[in-house]
Amino acid sequence: MKRQIPLFITFFVGTLLIFSVFIPPMETWGENFTLFFDIIAVFAFFLGAGNLVRVHVGKLKKRKADWGFSIVTLIGFGFMLFVGLLKIGNPGGIAADVTAPGSWFQEMFNYVINPLQSTMYALLAFFVASASYRAFRAKNREATILLIAAFVILLGRTPLGMLLTAWIPDSLSFFQIPNMAVWIMNSFNLAGQRAILIGISLGVVAMSLRLILGVERTYLGGDDNG
Amino acid sequence: MEHFAIWIAAFLTLGIVSFLYKDNAWYKLCEAIFVGISAGYWFVVLFWDNLHGKFWMGKGEDPMLYVGAILGILMLMRLIPKIGWISRWPLAFIVGATAGFYLINYFSSDVMSQVGSTVMPFFSTGYGSGVNASLYDIIGNIVVAVGTFTGLVYFYFSKEHKGAFGATAKVGIFFLMVTFGASFGYTVMSRMSLLIGRVDFLFGDFLGMIVQ
Amino acid sequence: MTPTRLHIFRVISISTICVLLLASLALSQDEATPTTNLSTEIDTVIIEVAAPTSLIATDHKYDNGERINLQWVPSIDDLPGISTVVGYRIYRQDDGGAAEAIADLPAKANHYRDENTELGHTYIYSVAALTDGAEFVSNPTESISPEREWIDFSKRYLFLIALIVGGAVIYFIEIARRGKKLFVRKIAGLEAVDDAVGRATEMGRPILFIPGIQDMDDVQTLAGLTILGRISKTIADYDTEIFMPVSRSLVMTAGREIIKSSYQTAGRPDKYSDDMVTYITDEQFGYVAAVDGIMVREKPATIFLLGAFFAESLILAETGNYIGAIQIAGTARPAQLPFFIAACDFTLIGEELFAASAYLSGEPKQLGSLKGQDVGKAIAMVILVIGALATTIGTAWNIASMNSLVDILKTIFSTS
Repeated sequence: MKRQIPLFITFFVGTLLIFSVFIPPMETWGENFTLFFDIIAVFAFFLGAGNLVRVHVGKLKKRKADWGFSIVTLIGFGFMLFVGLLKIGNPGGIAADVTAPGSWFQEMFNYVINPLQSTMYALLAFFVASASYRAFRAKNREATILLIAAFVILLGRTPLGMLLTAWIPDSLSFFQIPNMAVWIMNSFNLAGQRAILIGISLGVVAMSLRLILGVERTYLGGDDNG
Repeated sequence: MEHFAIWIAAFLTLGIVSFLYKDNAWYKLCEAIFVGISAGYWFVVLFWDNLHGKFWMGKGEDPMLYVGAILGILMLMRLIPKIGWISRWPLAFIVGATAGFYLINYFSSDVMSQVGSTVMPFFSTGYGSGVNASLYDIIGNIVVAVGTFTGLVYFYFSKEHKGAFGATAKVGIFFLMVTFGASFGYTVMSRMSLLIGRVDFLFGDFLGMIVQ
Repeated sequence: MTPTRLHIFRVISISTICVLLLASLALSQDEATPTTNLSTEIDTVIIEVAAPTSLIATDHKYDNGERINLQWVPSIDDLPGISTVVGYRIYRQDDGGAAEAIADLPAKANHYRDENTELGHTYIYSVAALTDGAEFVSNPTESISPEREWIDFSKRYLFLIALIVGGAVIYFIEIARRGKKLFVRKIAGLEAVDDAVGRATEMGRPILFIPGIQDMDDVQTLAGLTILGRISKTIADYDTEIFMPVSRSLVMTAGREIIKSSYQTAGRPDKYSDDMVTYITDEQFGYVAAVDGIMVREKPATIFLLGAFFAESLILAETGNYIGAIQIAGTARPAQLPFFIAACDFTLIGEELFAASAYLSGEPKQLGSLKGQDVGKAIAMVILVIGALATTIGTAWNIASMNSLVDILKTIFSTS
């Protein structure tokens, strides 16, 4: 029973949503699912938050390496719950939107989360550089093709690409790098994307059917588990 | 206050960047702050938006929302080991719904529309526009058709990549690699501008060295 | 006083009384309407424009009775360039009630879809051309009630093709279940999974499993988790350490369920711990900051990145590369694939991510579903060849049969 009921739920809900697309009175069921999902996700968040607290309190108790930083995490987490759930400093009071400008909650976002976010994001510039460097040293043919295409597109998007090939006469304008870049994006790139997208959606169809039909059931905890 | 906040932002920015040199206490501190504050942030946002906004405020109008709440409560049964298995029900619900919902969605938006767009005359710049393409466009159109076809051959699982089939699949890989290269090159520039944004903050807002 | 003078006096007095009476009347009216309004009325020049014509309301086909479509011919004064018509306002009478404005549209608009109708109600619509300060209303429509359709026939081809592909998947699963051997070619990235797990075991270092940053309502996360189901069995058999930091609580729950049962299957339930799967934060880059930290501190020998990834793909993969881990990545997001290809040892490209768990399971019925998928690809390839050739020939030499074939294909595959 412990296994049969979840399998039945998956089958029932999955089938219902597939057919709902073709039955107008059921057309909003997909949206309802998103709404249900959002509500379930908040309840699950209690488990996640509980886990966060448990892990860091555990580190603290056992004086594991870097336990001091766990205190910082716990204080940060607790502080955000305090200012957010009680809407401390919110100009509109408890009825206002939690992210209202001027509230402590939003100020924390602006001055702590936002710079951290954008800096972490900006690190990408360095990682892109190191990845490109490695691709440069690529030994196989595939990586070389990838690199050449990347190089043409990159040049095509910078003024340098224009300058380098500006001497090419207009009758041969195709060979000017910015034009080549546009051409690659509209032909090769379009073809590749199309093949990938068709493949992906067929993959999704097959995987979804495996899940709905109960052929794939690892997400319920394997085959032999009561 | 504003000034203090900029100092904090700069402290955090430099702390994260220090990771590039090596893992260190400054980075660990920033990481701990980031994790704690952001986890709290999302918990609060989801609490107000979803639990309060969508469920609590909406339940009167749409009693079906109670089903969502009940599934959510079943999820919490994990906390009681004896009946923890009940939490598989909401999981099964989510898996079934995600699978069902996306099966048709992907099929319609990607398979049907993408296959539909491959029906395209080589000698035209667009479907229904007559014979109006330049050599440049014609080659482009042929490349799109050949690339899509060979790309699909590459993904074909039922046949070994050998002989003519293998050669076609190789052409497919070539197309895929050009595609990836193109999107790599396309992204590099935007990533660089992110870095420029942070440098601008450090030297402008923080150190006041850049005159706006 | 002469009669003439008397007459003049009478005229003046009567006139004065009349003026006073009029003035007092005017004053009493002034109290009711402020003087400014009077002056505006005098200042504003109302420009007459023609009202919209030929307004028709029709029931929207294939819906649950919540839509009515309106169409009209715009005012003839709504001209290109400088126009005195600034827009259109839709009025609706619900069950014979007063007309209410339900929408304002820009100039030149000639249609509108009312998406807020209710079954059983009767509606009458009219459209007004708006100028600066005045409205010129069209004739109202006939009364109309929205209708409900039970089956959406506009999606019949979608249903048919989905049925063929879905049917093929189910057919091959069934064939395989009956014991027919089906061939599936080797997929390099997946052949490497066992070796990657073995490597971590030999080195005595942990395996890091990253299921992307999306929740359970993303098919890529589901694909990642089904692969985890296969990998964790091997991990439990080898008794290797696994760590799975997640950015969504639901994924944490599912991940624990999967790994726990793998350990139970392997006969080592005591080795399983909830700490193997840990929630970090929902915040994209907060999660990345923590996972990067975990990578450099724990130095996992093998890293799996399987699921939905965004900008963080490269940060994670490059850090993994830096610590010298073997990395197997997979995502269905085309924009992130190049970064995985550049920084990881093996990359599952799009479709391969969804096929992976079936492939790794090695079970015939799972492999059968991959065959079904191939039927879909074969159909796509055939349509591509026939469609491209037919439309090229049809366009270039204007051959009617080719053009009608193309029309049929376009109708079948149009999703709008």
